[in-house]
Amino acid sequence: MIILANILAIYRRELQSYFSSPFAYVIAGVFWFLSGVIFLQTLQGASLSASLGDQAGTGSVDVPYLLLVNFLGWLAIVSLFLLPMLSMGLYSEERKRGTLELLATSPVTNWAVAVGKLLGVVTFYVTLLLPVMVYEAIVLSTAEPAVQPAVMVLGHLGLVLMATSVLSLGMFISSLTDSTLLAAILTFGVMLVLLLVNWVAESVSGGLADTLRHLSMLTHYSNFIQGIVDTSSLILFGSYIFLGVFLTAQTIEALRFQRS
Amino acid sequence: MIEVEHLSKTYGTTSAIDDVSFSVEQGEILGFLGPNGAGKTTTMRILSGYLPASSGTARVAGFDVHENSMAVRQRIGYLPEVPPLYPEMTVKGFLHFVARIKGVAAGDRAERVQSALTRCNLLEKQDVLIRKLSKGFRQRVGIAQAIVHDPPAIILDEPTVGLDPRQIIDVRNLIKSLAGDHTILLSTHILPEASMICDRIAIINKGEVVATNTPDQLAAQLTGGLRYELDVEGDLATVQANLKELEGLRSFSIPETADSSRSKVVLEFASSYDPGREIAAIVVHAGLGLYQMRRSQVSLEDVFLQLTTEEPTEEPTAEPTEEFSEADVETSNLVPPAEESADDRTVASAEAEQQPMPPDQQVTVDASTGAIADHSLPKPDNHP
Repeated sequence: MIILANILAIYRRELQSYFSSPFAYVIAGVFWFLSGVIFLQTLQGASLSASLGDQAGTGSVDVPYLLLVNFLGWLAIVSLFLLPMLSMGLYSEERKRGTLELLATSPVTNWAVAVGKLLGVVTFYVTLLLPVMVYEAIVLSTAEPAVQPAVMVLGHLGLVLMATSVLSLGMFISSLTDSTLLAAILTFGVMLVLLLVNWVAESVSGGLADTLRHLSMLTHYSNFIQGIVDTSSLILFGSYIFLGVFLTAQTIEALRFQRS
Repeated sequence: MIEVEHLSKTYGTTSAIDDVSFSVEQGEILGFLGPNGAGKTTTMRILSGYLPASSGTARVAGFDVHENSMAVRQRIGYLPEVPPLYPEMTVKGFLHFVARIKGVAAGDRAERVQSALTRCNLLEKQDVLIRKLSKGFRQRVGIAQAIVHDPPAIILDEPTVGLDPRQIIDVRNLIKSLAGDHTILLSTHILPEASMICDRIAIINKGEVVATNTPDQLAAQLTGGLRYELDVEGDLATVQANLKELEGLRSFSIPETADSSRSKVVLEFASSYDPGREIAAIVVHAGLGLYQMRRSQVSLEDVFLQLTTEEPTEEPTAEPTEEFSEADVETSNLVPPAEESADDRTVASAEAEQQPMPPDQQVTVDASTGAIADHSLPKPDNHP
């Protein structure tokens, strides 16, 4: 009960700081602009391929579905640049301002702080996605035959899960340093590795290849946006999220022991 | 309320504090006094639960800071050296947040925040973003966050550092007003501050507590006694013998001065007897010019220097004093050669203006102003 109240307190503060900082508005503006442009392009591309399909008489291309898959792919790429910027300040700012000392001397566990912060930043990311989802829904509602809502929901769920994993690991990286820039760069690197580790998998063989392929966020994300939910995907994203929170809590604990 | 026993903390091979023991009684203000790097912050961080100690125990309100960390954290208010503030929040919003994470019940929060705002004189600034506050106000918000959950024990790490004179007075008064209901441990490297605010003082140097006592007793403990400083024109030889025969004289010295026609004489006496009248009579009777004569008690600063300086020859203040220009020497009667801040000098004079004091006492206040940290660690770029 107390822990929940603490998480909520941290969460509220975190959100409050997003909505009162120009940084968050700039991020949101850029994200909405880019995703809007990309959506328009994807839409034109999709209608082009639809008309081509009609002319060729094949007619079997599921245009709305392709639109969704392509667009979600693009959103993931935009997020690739966005997520490190969202997670970079989570702890490094607290370290720099000395507010970590306040949190660490308050009757709040490191876990509660980490969970509250992660929830806060994920909420902000979801807020960014909401308007995008609205115009997707408008376009897809005109499709004939209609796209199953479940596919759309699953695709975005996958996106949010992947983003949460990245943000969680990014939060951990942010807790390691008091330089936000360094945190962003490191997070970007780690994220690239985790997204693209299946490329490496292709050049090795056997059990290692399977393991690597399985660790790749991209593989699981592709499943999600195609409407396939595998328990293993859920477990993988869940593990990344847990790992990030766990490591963050441990770092903050360890920080007290080595502080000079 | 706060008990520290044999506390040590080492970082690798260097020891930050070594076998520190002291206690703070309920409702008392204990000043933790020491030069920079003496281990004040480390001790306070251990007490606040931020750092674990290498050995020894620390208890707050009966709870061990390590084993019962959460219980202790609920019972202390802690102001670190740099006030932990979120610049994008309003003062009120920030205090609400702190009240929440400190576990103040939802029903009491508004009242607690209001009371902290009132006590710290922040009512007019409550809806202002912290980013837009001046340093003095930020420091007050820092203190407000330390008292918002009404903790029995308050730990303040250099609460007046970097403030202007007016703000320093405000903050000192605020701290004094908190005593009684709260037990306060505060660190400072400014001596007059410690003797002004604190009930007791613990002097810490190189990680060890070298003395703990009330400010008066600390001074008495060391020497006790009176000191007269004279500024005389004329041939000293004519009065020297007479002065040396004065009752209770313990030491007699003639420090060098830049001006050859005037000399300074420093006389120290046992405290039981005040020979002011005789001194003046001797000097005037011999036909010498008496430009200044002032009496001072042995100051806490002297105590501090004695306790923390191992070899007086290494005392870095010696150097800047010699470098002083003539003009400086003349005016430095009232102001110690230590270069600490115009700030502190003005504080003393601001305070002197505020509460008119008899001249001799006024001089004492001035003479004891100055930061000891600067005696041991002078900042070279501040020298004239």
